[in-house]
Amino acid sequence: MIRKVAVVGIGGMFPTCKDIGEFSDKIFAGKSLIREWDEAILHGKKMRSTVSGYISVAESGLEEIPSTLLVNYPEIFKDKLNRIPVENLVTADLGSIWAMLGTQDAIAMSGWSEPEIHSEQTGVVIGSGAGGNEVSRKSWHNFFALDKKTRYLGSHNVDRCMVYRDAANVSCLIQNKGVCECIGSACATGLGNIGYAYRLIAFGLQDRIIAGGTEGTSMESFIGFDAMQVLSRGHEPGKSSRPFDMDRNGFVCSFGAGIVALEAYDIAKARGANILAVIDNYFNNSDGSGDMFAPSNEGQLRLWKGLMGNNKDRLFPDVVKVHGTSTPLGDAIELFSVVNFLGDKGYHISAPKSQFGHMLGAAGAVEFVLAVLMLREQKVSPCLNSDNLNEQPEAFQLEADWNNTKEPIAAYRHLLPQQPIEKEINRIVCLNYGFGSTNSAIAVSKDGL
Amino acid sequence: MTREEAKEKIVEILRTVHTINPAKLVNVTEKTDFITDLGAPSTELVNIVAKAEEKFGVEFEDDDIDDIGSTMKETIDLVLKYVNKKQAAN
Repeated sequence: MIRKVAVVGIGGMFPTCKDIGEFSDKIFAGKSLIREWDEAILHGKKMRSTVSGYISVAESGLEEIPSTLLVNYPEIFKDKLNRIPVENLVTADLGSIWAMLGTQDAIAMSGWSEPEIHSEQTGVVIGSGAGGNEVSRKSWHNFFALDKKTRYLGSHNVDRCMVYRDAANVSCLIQNKGVCECIGSACATGLGNIGYAYRLIAFGLQDRIIAGGTEGTSMESFIGFDAMQVLSRGHEPGKSSRPFDMDRNGFVCSFGAGIVALEAYDIAKARGANILAVIDNYFNNSDGSGDMFAPSNEGQLRLWKGLMGNNKDRLFPDVVKVHGTSTPLGDAIELFSVVNFLGDKGYHISAPKSQFGHMLGAAGAVEFVLAVLMLREQKVSPCLNSDNLNEQPEAFQLEADWNNTKEPIAAYRHLLPQQPIEKEINRIVCLNYGFGSTNSAIAVSKDGL
Repeated sequence: MTREEAKEKIVEILRTVHTINPAKLVNVTEKTDFITDLGAPSTELVNIVAKAEEKFGVEFEDDDIDDIGSTMKETIDLVLKYVNKKQAAN
């Protein structure tokens, strides 16, 4: 039997926001969280793009304490607000600390007892898109370029850079006795971890899980995408992420963390938990196209069919939270696959990256947190900056093998709100995709439907 | 350098180790064990040794570090072995 899964807690770290309350306020006020990034500007003409939804160390309530043995190497991030014990801070990079902070908020909201947190039935599944890039770079620079001995790194290079450091740090913080793992699927990582956690509970392997994604602010992550010429440039910061708009020219590389507390629905209900949302299904697949980067209309249609199965009418969403990165090809393919499967009536499209950019491995998790907020607030977050829609078909729509809609993007203006809107929201589908032609989708709904 | 002088400098190093509670550093003796008495994780020992190299201006051989224990006495012994060797060479 597949068990229902409840969302009982949410948390995270969000650019320009002191907490999740301010995040909700800004999102539903239609504000942008994207700024010029001073650190990127410092590198002058080496950088193509300089806008980001970033969170600095200081904004995180942290202080970087430099090593006296190495050049520019953070020995520890000190928590100026005394939220995380020092024993956990020494093993954590910036993204891991954000994951721990988000976990504290999600658990506080969940109402889990200490025995429940420490149970063999409690797991942690959190991932990120990149390794501990910043700590790694500074380590390797000191060893290879500056000829420093390995022991000058101390004992915390590995634990701050290993692939599943975020899950490991959270698990050591909360001392659960169930699974501790991470899923990596590029920009689908955040949703992939939540989806995997959903399956662990739905199939009876765990009763509750802390799940999500985190992506610590890192120039190294930014540089890789800047090199690919895929980042937005030429717009003022608040207008630089513009999914579906004719003038979109790339995504805004951003950073943050989204953490959720999931629990077997019957257990949550029995203890009187405040159930924020119910996960109805999760599905993921691959395009099978052999293309590392290009989105696939066919792959996304199979994704929808896998998610909805024979329950299309029952699970029909009021909102489709799209991946919507603000790249020329990706947005168009995604919109047309949504329309092809759902038709063009009865729902709105939410494109959160229009407000805070693309948080890479955290994107799917932060956007899932936002979906839960949409259910709570009964408001649709907008497709900000989708000012002008192409009234002509995209070039690929004119090709002989294109068997989807021939209508231009402008034909779907009514699906793409330019500002937040209030409406009855019972069901939301969240979509995320990643390099390697991976696709993921989750269906989430209000409790009691 | 006397053993007491070496101990005081090592205590200064211990004050920079973030996992050690500074309140535990008031009555440190040569018998003090960094792990059992001061609560330092065993993973901090290499950090303490590396900081000692910097503090005393010496470079330990890996064999000597491999054999070192976790007490103040053993750390002083290690430091003075290298400091005295350096002074003799000068």
